[in-house]
Amino acid sequence: MPGRVLVITSGKGGVGKTTTTANLGTGLAIAGQKVCLVDADIGLRNLDVVMGLENRIVYDLVEVVEGNCKLRNALIKHKRNDNLFLLPAAQTREKDAVSPEQMKGLCEQLAAEFDFVLVDSPAGIEHGFRNAIAGADEAIIVTTPEVSAVRDADRIIGMLEAHELFSPKLIINRLRPEMVKRGDMMDVQDVIEILAIDLLGVVPDDQAVIVATNRGEPVVFDEKSLSAAAYRNIVGRILGEDIPQMDFEPESMLEKLRRLVPLRFSRRKAN
Amino acid sequence: MSARGSVVLKGSRNNGVTIVIRDDADFNDVIAELRAKLGQARRFMGGAPLHLDTGTRPVTTEEFLALNKVAQEFGLIILENEGVRSMPAKSAEDPGVTSAHQFAGSRSGSYDAARQGGTKEEESNTLLHKRTLRSGQRIDYDGNVVVLGDVNPGAVINCTGDILVFGTLRGVAHAGAQGNAKAVVVAFRLEPTQLRIAQYISRAPDGETAAPTGPEMALVKDDQIQIEVYAC
Repeated sequence: MPGRVLVITSGKGGVGKTTTTANLGTGLAIAGQKVCLVDADIGLRNLDVVMGLENRIVYDLVEVVEGNCKLRNALIKHKRNDNLFLLPAAQTREKDAVSPEQMKGLCEQLAAEFDFVLVDSPAGIEHGFRNAIAGADEAIIVTTPEVSAVRDADRIIGMLEAHELFSPKLIINRLRPEMVKRGDMMDVQDVIEILAIDLLGVVPDDQAVIVATNRGEPVVFDEKSLSAAAYRNIVGRILGEDIPQMDFEPESMLEKLRRLVPLRFSRRKAN
Repeated sequence: MSARGSVVLKGSRNNGVTIVIRDDADFNDVIAELRAKLGQARRFMGGAPLHLDTGTRPVTTEEFLALNKVAQEFGLIILENEGVRSMPAKSAEDPGVTSAHQFAGSRSGSYDAARQGGTKEEESNTLLHKRTLRSGQRIDYDGNVVVLGDVNPGAVINCTGDILVFGTLRGVAHAGAQGNAKAVVVAFRLEPTQLRIAQYISRAPDGETAAPTGPEMALVKDDQIQIEVYAC
């Protein structure tokens, strides 16, 4: 049975598509799934940097579709997890170096070998976006709780439907409970009300993400961080587990998370 | 690829108008768009001197003549003193190394010959790139490449000869790309993402490493790429 091909997209730039792709892929690999990450952001590649694999790139996606190298030779195995592979984008080419049909073929090839293929989409709704979604069976929309990001996410959901990718799942990234409490930020319900799609998870704003990204190690490796717990929950939901949404009740958020996180990840000693 | 954006006309008060050609643009698109743009700009061009800036794109004599023919349709002439010059039209001792990118035929690789104890070397050209090479930019060249500036991560230099960087090399450098394992990579600060010489590949170790404190040279020794302190 072929694996699942998921595209991670958002419309708006800077909401955390690449970080989300890296963390979900790593999380799935930690959970024992064989995962291939595909960077479809040709010309502005980042996923290799976030994964800390930039210096291992020899061949890239464009060279694979142009037939200059075998797919197997372009795949980079992650240094810490043998289940996790990356197909890097070309940096010195442009988006139109690849066609949606070629991407579709590539995703089919990968799905035959991997349990999960996660495609990191570029920002925007142009050629690069159409490439990214061409081979996908499912879509994950990443948004931040901002009016502009939600607006773009809404546009993307419409475009996905036009490409017969129905019922995408939503990840709300960089939520700041204290701002929601003050009424300065949209809360989860506000976003869901507008987009009306299933919520896959909420990732709180977390400085650990920035530290991890700069170090080239996805934050999901970090047992202690809040965002890592959120990503692990999302991974569980992708795998079909029934995990309740994290509670971001502002006044008791810290206490609740302190209570919830050790329970879910028993590697940490109980108090 | 659409023709739009292949050509940009840049005006300056002192220097007339520069035709900037995108590196990867299709040449037919370039011709078509140049004709359209010169047509639109006809009124204010008024005999201004035209220059050509083709970035890292090599321009053959034929292409240069074709561009000039378009310019002549509008009563204009592309001057030769700016940007790229058609291949080895000039010799190495020509002092015209003031332009942004210059292709000059060096004299039968005298530098190579000296280094390799006078072995016979094929004629090799040298490309001088006088600015920092940034992420996504690449130089592919049949000959040596000299960069006066840095080579940032995400940038690629791929050439058949040696690579010299008078700055910090942080990107990917491939010297001796056609299989010349005697090629070297020299940089004022050598901190590459990846180094390739002929068929050999090496990459930076993972994690933090001490930054180099002086010029270094990478070369193939005992079937692997080694880095040495560069001493003249």
